[in-house]
Parts: sequence; structure tokens; C-alpha cells
Amino acid sequence: MAMIRRGLIQAAGFMLLVLAGIAAAQSHLPDAMLRHGFEAPADGPTSDAEAARFLAQATFGPTLEDIAHLRAVGYRAWIDEQFTQPVATQAPYLDWVNTLPDGNVTDDTRLEIWTINALGTPDPSRGLSRPTDQLRQRMAFALSEIFVVSSKNGTLAYQPWALASWYDMLADNAFGNYRELLEDVTLHPAMGIYLTHLGNQKANAAQNIRPDENYAREVMQLFSVGLVQLNPDGTPKLAAGQPQPTYDQSTVRGLAAVLTGWTWNNTGCGPGSYVCCTAETYTRCGPYNDYDRPVWRLPMQPVEAFHDTTSPKQLLVYPGVALPDGVLAPGGDAQAELAAALDNLFRHPNVGPFIALCLIQRFVTSNPTPAYVQRVASAFANNGSGVRGDLKATLRAILLDPEARYGQWSNAERFGKLREPLIRNTHLWRAMDAIAPSARIVTLTPYPGIEDWYGQGPLRSPSVFNFFRPDFRAHGGIDALGLASPEFQILSDSYAVSTANRLFSVSFCWYRKGAEYDASCWADNYDGNRTLYLEIGRDELLALNDPGALLDRYDLLFLSRQMSPAMRATLLARLNAISGPDRARLRIQHALYLILNAPEYVVQK
Amino acid sequence: MHSRRRFLRHTAASLAGAGLFSAFGNLRVLAAAANGYAFPAGDFKALVCIFLNGGNDSFNTIVPYTVPAYADYRSSRTVLIADGGLAFDQATLVANALAPLAAGGGLPGGLPSDGASYGTHPALAELRDLFNGGQAAVIANVGTLHQPTTRADYQAGTVAVPPQLFSHSDQSTYWQTSRPDDANANGWGGRIADRMQAANTGAIPMCISLSNNNLFQRGDLVDAYSVSPGGVEKMSYLGGGPESWVIGDNAAGVAAWNALLAAGAQQHVFERAYADRARQAVASYEVVDAALDGAPELATEFPDTPLGRQLRMAARLIQVRGAIGMARQVFYASVGNYDTHNYQVEDQHGNLAQLSQAIAAFHAATVELGVDGAVTTFTASDFGRSLAVNGDGTDHGWGGHHFVVGGAVRGQRFYGAMPSLRANNNPDDTGFGQVIPTTALDQYAATLAAWFGVDTGDIAEIFPALARFDAPDLGFLG
Repeated sequence: MAMIRRGLIQAAGFMLLVLAGIAAAQSHLPDAMLRHGFEAPADGPTSDAEAARFLAQATFGPTLEDIAHLRAVGYRAWIDEQFTQPVATQAPYLDWVNTLPDGNVTDDTRLEIWTINALGTPDPSRGLSRPTDQLRQRMAFALSEIFVVSSKNGTLAYQPWALASWYDMLADNAFGNYRELLEDVTLHPAMGIYLTHLGNQKANAAQNIRPDENYAREVMQLFSVGLVQLNPDGTPKLAAGQPQPTYDQSTVRGLAAVLTGWTWNNTGCGPGSYVCCTAETYTRCGPYNDYDRPVWRLPMQPVEAFHDTTSPKQLLVYPGVALPDGVLAPGGDAQAELAAALDNLFRHPNVGPFIALCLIQRFVTSNPTPAYVQRVASAFANNGSGVRGDLKATLRAILLDPEARYGQWSNAERFGKLREPLIRNTHLWRAMDAIAPSARIVTLTPYPGIEDWYGQGPLRSPSVFNFFRPDFRAHGGIDALGLASPEFQILSDSYAVSTANRLFSVSFCWYRKGAEYDASCWADNYDGNRTLYLEIGRDELLALNDPGALLDRYDLLFLSRQMSPAMRATLLARLNAISGPDRARLRIQHALYLILNAPEYVVQK
Repeated sequence: MHSRRRFLRHTAASLAGAGLFSAFGNLRVLAAAANGYAFPAGDFKALVCIFLNGGNDSFNTIVPYTVPAYADYRSSRTVLIADGGLAFDQATLVANALAPLAAGGGLPGGLPSDGASYGTHPALAELRDLFNGGQAAVIANVGTLHQPTTRADYQAGTVAVPPQLFSHSDQSTYWQTSRPDDANANGWGGRIADRMQAANTGAIPMCISLSNNNLFQRGDLVDAYSVSPGGVEKMSYLGGGPESWVIGDNAAGVAAWNALLAAGAQQHVFERAYADRARQAVASYEVVDAALDGAPELATEFPDTPLGRQLRMAARLIQVRGAIGMARQVFYASVGNYDTHNYQVEDQHGNLAQLSQAIAAFHAATVELGVDGAVTTFTASDFGRSLAVNGDGTDHGWGGHHFVVGGAVRGQRFYGAMPSLRANNNPDDTGFGQVIPTTALDQYAATLAAWFGVDTGDIAEIFPALARFDAPDLGFLG
């Protein structure tokens, strides 16, 4: 009964929106009237459009095949299937390339396997099997934009294995528990180098040395609790109208002191290898710039002589905190203190709403309602079996929430997010069944680097603050309305052009009909065998005989059938104006380019 | 003045409410307002912000070499570089000495306030020459403040300090907005542009970024145009861009693109913002590209570094100021890698060498263009760094020294108070090696704004906390 009433209210609200929309602007919402709300949102999808929309949030882009499969099994079974798919990794691919005659492994090699895993194309390092873990890969990508390390770091630029191993660690933890993720993040040498706690040492008054505060500060600000105290729904707690800091400089110093004594793993050190880490060698041990030492993939280990065992350490204070007044008494060894400090972070009431908001923004919408954040935070706090930090439960709550499923109706003018340029690109490739003649793929490694075109590249952030900040507000109407719009931070004038131009190349330059490859441009890296080609053969008859039906197919694949009549009319006029012997291909390419750059597509709703 | 402020606020609110933000629509509204600035032909000025991302260790950039100041420095930076530490030896600093002027010729002197003699990091050879030649000055220990703040104030918590001190994101925000009282404020460069944009005849924003989106140049009405340092790139689909030839004549495609991105054609607020940005990009690059096409290459050679390329493009855009209709320009350049928690000796050397060489080339280019007296370049950064070290690097601090460069600078001088660098019982630090600013960012910024021609009433609006500090103009420009 309650369900039906809510449905009617939603439908009535929706009709008002439609009427307002028609009056206000050319674009208006497509028809889906009087259906939503009668069934529990998580029981869908009830249409191809709903399936495509879900896949746009949960994967690197819907395909016709995946839409059919999701309709057949339903959201819940699809998610459960994804939880059990084998993990597609990166480091073994680098190992494989390293065995090839021309096997020069660089940071670009890492982007080859990122592309393969994101698209699900045949992986030559695994006998041409296709990665099938779309949700895990999408989650790993989301995590890589929250727990940031980057090859823009002067050391990590030359350590592709370290970064591949980092990404594999994120993928491995994607459906695990946040507490383990946080520990793996803290102890991975890529993070140890990036935020400089590898080699951190206890205070030395004679030399005015204090523990390095870098990781201590950022793990709190960016990876766990954030700067201000939050209500369970993610809104800031106010006192006298002011937000309240989550911690202060004494907490930063306390956590920095906890993180002293950590350095390289000693597995494999010694004569013929790198200097083992001991009390004597602490400041000069490890592989540093040696190429591909396995230690770059192993968690850091402590050298107790450099760990602070004498000072009490102020950690976070919050209701119910296990440590008395949040203070860790002196004397613990490095491992015990780390465990206590990570527990202190993990149990802070901010973590649920903080991580919920971060992840909702990566998958669904830039401005979730507080109620949505609270529902996800509740799943984080308790997965239903009393477990805190279960990322499976968190992800389920994000994707199956009524707001995720129906927010486009309930908040039609603000719900959703600007699609990330990389995901627009993978979406195009997946929807168009792109493959390369060779299984290796270099299309994401143009010159200059992809991040110079898109403003982003996997693990290529300019700083630990990611390509964009969660609270970025684009100039103009978004700012005036006080809305967050993270991805707009990389929509500068210059990236607006270079992103469109990269998608132009992808749309117009390389295409195939089955195994018959053709090109209009020079291939990236001058290697046409390692370039992705869009499958246009599939849609050629539609393009030739019925451009309207072609647009219907792309409306489903790219816009989840949210294309307005005005946009459709514009595209149809463009396609009908194309004649000549290549008109089928050109209609497909123009349709793709215009859709990929149209406001109605670029904003995922 | 008050009516103008009301007008700006009202206009911004009504544009947002009506969903009418569009490329240049807002500029046209502003132009109609005719808000009081007028620049006759030949009256040109440019401000160039160089943001050092990460927080430069300015206390190892400009360093005392005479005792007792040098001894204080060594109490914090105990280990010499030669011994694996961060500290410069005295001989290095003497060899890189700054030679400030004493008072004379009716002008105040610019000796360091602590009576010490200072040298620079050896990587700053060109910048040091500019200082000693009178084209550059050092502004001491600048930082974000609500009001004058002493160590006692800080430790007792008796005055408000900017929120989230020592946090990169927050402090770089406040450096760009100079409004630590308002987390959502726009940039002070943008607030200047809100008021001056209409006095330019050109149809593009007077704020141009060489380093993508930034807060500094963002105003209520005017946002920056960002251009790639490598040059203007056009949209391939609209013609004249990379690989445009692939699709041949595309008039019908251009018409479709224009229809999809037309102003006001989108219902969703994000869609409108995306379309507005794309249209602004196209409209601006057409103007800039046409202007650059008609201008000869500069004779001045720039280093092929990230900052060198950015400042070269800034110089080119100053060169074509007439063609793009600009009497006032605000530029933003930025470089990273200043967050030297480790490898500081290696990284800072490279960073400062890049900075010094790029600034020198840029200054030479302004001389070549005959506008060196009309262009002022200044540095900014998240914060200074801690006096305490953590091994091979330093942590986040607060105040820090900065450079201003240009023909209008009363150079070869130090301005403001040099802080103590002592490790213990330091009268100028928080108690933990983070130096409390003795000059407010408001003062630094307002001095630049006054030189730029912003009137006193607008300065008071743009920097509302300025009146709490004793000198609204530090006198380094004139």
C-alpha cells in the first residue's frame, strides 16, 4: 500500500516536471510516465532503458549483450555474479610484456592493461581470455580517485609495477572490507613513496627532526574522516552555525608519530639485490630507483629502532572512542600501534557518510540527498550481519537505492553527474564493440599523454587531491545553486576542446567490419595493429536504410533512452544530410561524435 | 560604490535563478552596467600570478647568512646539505647574496627588518640578478590571516585563525580567494575582473589561465578563459582542428553542434553549464587564434619547461592585447612538485631553477614588447613550510616569503618583517615550527590591486579584512 502511494506521488510530481520542462526548454524528459514506483526499485530492470542506465553507473559502459543479460537476471543477481567474477589484474600483464622481444615496460604499458580490463577485450597475457569483472574494475577506478597515488610523482613515474600492483590491490579490496583496504593502502610502498611515510622516523630533538606528517594528514583528510564532523547523513555538524573540525594539528602529529619506523619489505634483500633495512641502514636501504624489484609490490615492514615508543600519541576523539581520550599510550611496537591507529580511524562515525558520499559521486550523482547518503552510510556501518566496512553491502546500497534508480525523475534538473572523459571514451568503445587487430592496445597512450587530452588518466592525478575535488562548484548556475560538480574541474576551456578532439579521433579515425579494419587517420604510436577500431558493420544496415532506428539504438546504448525529441530531430537532420557511397559509415560516426559531445549525454542522469 | 556592489550581487543571483548563464551573456550584462572604470588607449597593465603548488619552502629559498640570524636558521636546519641535511652553508649564501638598497633618493630603503644579510637558494641566479638590478623585491612572511596574530594569540586561541591551517586544499583556496572567512568565496583576481571586465573592449574574459581551471581568476560574473600553453587548439568537428580534414565539408555538422549546445536549450543545470563552457571555449579560441596568427614570434627565448611554456603564452597574449581588446589582463600560471616532504634538496633545486629561468625570460619578453613597466609578476603558494625537518624534507607551514617582479616594482628591497627561524622559543612560530605570517595576504594582494588600478572603494570590498591591518599598501609598486 505504501509502495503504491509513493508511486502515485512520484508519478504526479513527474507529470508536473514534464509540463514545466516542455514550457521551459527544448529538451524534455522522455516518456516513462506512470510506471515507476509500483515495484521495488531493486527488483528491476523492467526495460532495456533501465538496464542500460544501471550499466552506465556500474560499468565502463553498457553493451547490447550486457543489457540483455542484465534484463534476464535482474539487478541483484547481476551484482552477485559480479562479486564472484575472477579479478582482472595488471601486474601479470607487465610481467608478460617484459618477456616479449620488444617488451619495454613503461607507465604506458600499465594503461594498455587498464584499457583491456576496462573494456573487457581479450587479454594476451591470459591466453586471450576476456576480463568479466566490470563492477570490480569500475570500483577499483573509483577507489583510485579517492585513495590517490600517481605516476606524476618523480619516483613512481619509473615504477610501473608498483602502480600496477597498487591498482591490483584496489581491485582485490574492491569487494572486501574498508578496514583491510585502509591497511593495504597505508602499507603499500607506492603510497609510502607518494605520501612519504616510507622511511619516516621518530623525533630527534638534536637535529630538530619531527615525524613526517604528510600521510598522517592526508589519510584523515582524504581517505577516511574528512576535515569536519559529519552527521550520519553526511551534512556537517554545526555548533553556533560553524562546522566543527574532525581533528587538529595535535592529532596530525600523533598519527605521524604512530607511522614512524616503516620502510621497505626485506623479502629478497641482501647481496646481489638491494640493501636490507635495519637499524643501521634505515635511511639508505631499499631498492629506490632500481627497476622492477619485486619489493615494490610488497607491504612495508617496520624497523623498531626508528619507531617512536616513548611518546603518547593523540589520535581521533569521538563518542565511544576505544582509546581513552583518543590517546594511544606509549610503548607499543610499530605493527601494534598501526593497528590501533587504523582502528581508531575506522571506528570514527564520519567514515561511513564520508566514504558513502565519495563513492556515490563516482557512480551515481554529484549531489545525493542526505537521506541517500545516510542509507548508504548505514549499510557501511552494518552490512546486516553486524559487520562494519563491508564494501559489498556499501556498493549494493549505492546502486540499488531508490534515488540511484529513480533520481532522474524525482530531481530531474539536478540529479546525476558530468561523465568523466575517460568513461565517455570507454563507453564509446564498449558500446561499439571496439577491438584491436593485435590484443595489445595503445590507443589510450597517445602523445602527449591521455591526461593532457582528458584532464585525467588512470593513476595520473596531478596531486593527492585527484583530478577534481568532491566539492568543486562549476562557475555560473551550478555555483549559484550551491551544487557540487566535481568533474567540472577538468572541464576547462582547453580540456573542453582537447577532450572533444580526442573523442573525434576515436569516432572518426578507426573502424572495422568484423575482421576487416580500416582507418582514416594515422594510428597512435604509428601502430595500427594496436589501435582500437569501432565495429560499424553491426549498425551499417540501420544507418543506410533507417537512420531513425540507428538513433534509437544509440539512444539506448548511450542515453538510456533519455534523448529528447529536440536532440533526436537535430541528429536525424544531420544524418539525413549525409549522402554518397560512405554514408552508412559516416552517419554512424557523426551520430556517435555528436552524441558523445551533446549536453544530454555528457551529463549522466 | 555600494550601489555597484548591490548591482553585482543582484545580477549574479538573477542570472543563476533564470538559468541564463551563457558564454558572454554575463559579460554583455556587465558591459551594459558601465561600472566606472575606463582605460584610455595605451593604458595597459597585466598581473601575472605564478602559483607554486604544494607549498614552497621559502625559508630555504631566501636565507640569512649573518649571525645571529644564520645561527637561528641552523638551530632549525641542523644538518648541512653536504652531510645529507637541508641546510645551506654560509659560503653558499654569501656567494648568492642579495644586495638590498638602503634609504635614499627620497625613497624608503629595503634592508631586511632583522638587520641580517640574506642570500638566495643557488638555483635562483636569474631572479637574484633581477632583485639586485632593481626589478624584483622580496615580500617577507606573507600568509592567510583574519587579523594580526601573535604567537601568544595563536597559542591562547584568542584570535580567529583561518580554518584548516596546514591543509593544502584549504590554504591554497584561501591564498586564491583571500577570504578565509568564506569557504565559497571566489578568487581575488576574479573579483577584480568582475569590476574591470567591462572596461575592456574585447569579447573574451580579461582573466586568462595558462593552467586550466583555478579559483584565483574566478569571479561572480567573470570566469577565466583557459588556453593551452602549447597554443590554441580548435574543435576538430567545427573545422580548423586536428584531423578536421577527415570529415571534409561539415556545415551541417556545425549546425547540429550549434543546435545541441545552444544557449538556453538545456533543461538540466549541469547540461547548461557544460554547454556554456563549450561555447565559451569556441568563441574565445576564435578571437585568440586570429590575434596570435597575425603576430610575429617573440625574439625572447623561453626555457622549454612547464612554467616556461606557460609564461611564453602569457607573453604572447600580452603581445596581442590590442587585437583581443584588452587594457587589463590577469594571468594565472602554476607549477607543482613544491610539496617537499622528502627529496627536498633535489626537488627544490629543480623547482626554483625552473621558476627563476622562466621569470627571467618572461621579464625579458616584456622588455622586448616595451611593457615591462606595465606587467607585474608575483608568486603565491599554499603555505610556507615548517622550520622543523622530517629527515630529508619539511612539513606544512603557514607564512612564507614571496617575490614580485616587473618594471613597476620598487625593487632591490625587502618589505615586511623577517621572522625568526629559531627552532625553540621562536617568537614568530606557532610552537611547532610553523611560522605565523607577519604580513597578511590581504595586504600583499591589495598592493597589487591598487597598482592595477582598482579604486579604493572596490579594494575595500574585494578585501574586507584589509582594514584590520596597519598598512593597506605595502609600497612595493609605484
